Amino acid sequence: MSQSTLLAPGGRPLPQAAGEPPLKRARPPASDPARQTIIISRIAFAVLTVALWEVAARWLVDPFWIGQPSKIAERLWKLIVSNDLLWHAVPTVLHAAAGLLLSLLVGIPVGLLFASSKFVERVLEPFFLGLYSIPRIALAPLFILWFGIGPMSKVVMAFSLVVFVVIMNTYEGMRGVDRELIDMMKAMRASRAYILRKVMLPSIVPWLFASVRVGVGLALIGSVVGELLGSNRGLGWYVEHAAGRIDVIGVFTGLVILMVVGILLNELVKTAETRLMRNRR
Amino acid sequence: MNDVVSDPSIAALSGQAAEPAVVLRNVAMDYGGAVLALADIDLALAEGEFLSIVGPSGCGKSTLLKLISGLAQPAAGQVIVRGRPVQGTPAGIGFMFQRDALLPWATVRENIAVGLDCAGLPAGAEREQRIDELLAFTGLSQFGDAYPRTLSGGMRQRVALGRILAYAPDIYLMDEPFGALDAQTKLLMGQELLSIWGRFRKGIIFVTHDIEEAVSLSDRVVVMTGRPGRIKAEYRIDLPRPRDSRGVRKLPAFHQYVDSIWGDIMSESVRN
Repeated sequence: MSQSTLLAPGGRPLPQAAGEPPLKRARPPASDPARQTIIISRIAFAVLTVALWEVAARWLVDPFWIGQPSKIAERLWKLIVSNDLLWHAVPTVLHAAAGLLLSLLVGIPVGLLFASSKFVERVLEPFFLGLYSIPRIALAPLFILWFGIGPMSKVVMAFSLVVFVVIMNTYEGMRGVDRELIDMMKAMRASRAYILRKVMLPSIVPWLFASVRVGVGLALIGSVVGELLGSNRGLGWYVEHAAGRIDVIGVFTGLVILMVVGILLNELVKTAETRLMRNRR
Repeated sequence: MNDVVSDPSIAALSGQAAEPAVVLRNVAMDYGGAVLALADIDLALAEGEFLSIVGPSGCGKSTLLKLISGLAQPAAGQVIVRGRPVQGTPAGIGFMFQRDALLPWATVRENIAVGLDCAGLPAGAEREQRIDELLAFTGLSQFGDAYPRTLSGGMRQRVALGRILAYAPDIYLMDEPFGALDAQTKLLMGQELLSIWGRFRKGIIFVTHDIEEAVSLSDRVVVMTGRPGRIKAEYRIDLPRPRDSRGVRKLPAFHQYVDSIWGDIMSESVRN
């Protein structure tokens, strides 16, 4: 008899049990009033902060020290119009993204290896922690020596900051995998590869998102630090260049752009996460 | 894999002639210390038999199932499944857990497909058709694309049941599968399990702490003692088949079984 004939001749399906309605999907409605309030409050907070800054710069502290929002806005506008903003922001973001991606490509397998072999973990742990405790920023000159002032040194800088986060999060995620799901698979003689694909990897997805959230900021730092030390382009270069000419407004403008880029990238990650994790319990 | 449906009468006949599906011989189990979890377990499951194990919590009932499925190894004694000592996980074992053990990131269809994957059924039209059948069979046709978190406890256990049926095992190990459900749902699921078993006649070892549930479903009930778990008593349940798990509870004989088993378990808890 073939696989497709589960039901015996004359067999009738089990009835739908009564009194067992499916639970309603708990999803917040699109126009959540709380959400609107939060967005409005955020804008109010930003406006207030900028206003206080402006007031301070006009009447309390010399803008030479603290910059001045109106002048920063003016500079920002110039950068946008002259297309310099994109010219500098694009390489910084691309290098950070490449470093982040590379961290995931390397960090996930290493984390999986640590989690799957107690032996490997115990042998390598002190070396791993040793590497982790090196201040990676101090390696920047070395990276420039090795990889030149081109994109590679920035990507490696970002990578060196983020990869540890990915390894540790992957490892922690693997330790938190529901044992019962693995037992369920093993009882049906599922292969290791199948268990990895169906149980392990999906289980660590929330941990990977956590890595990416932290990693976005770190990767930007890596990319910018690389540019501070050796480059002819990028937001890090712009800040360094402005500082060299004691152009405080230029420094602040660069920092504001970096901040906005960081916020935007984080929002992007959050949106992706909400979409992908929607169906989790 | 081709004997998804066996004629009950043939299964019953061959069950008498053939060797037992599962044999445990003098099995002991510890948790890597002085504390024994199980001791002196001698137990056999005949082909097509519905066997329940009841006992106080922590008596090692669940451990017993893990030994049979190869998920754990005994400290002493032999575990034999279909004539072969257990090494690794034996083929054709369907394990159902108290918590449904559904993949939360997979739909009902995908969860059921896990059973088919493990049984080695390749992707294709036949596979989709089979999932449809299993969905219809478990009363979940409208919920194929739903995720587990949107389902009630009873429906989730139906999905788990669908997944096990998809794997088409020869021996079912069920670890308090309905233990977390409310009373009515539990009764209904018991009834459904009986009707499935009546059709396929595969051997089932059903672990529960609910004595009435055990008596209403089983051919035989084994009572275990507290830690270390030993077999204290065994009851052959001579109640008419096919059974209606609610109707059977009205028979005087049913209550005699339940009372005796209660007595066994109570004397156990007094002893401890």
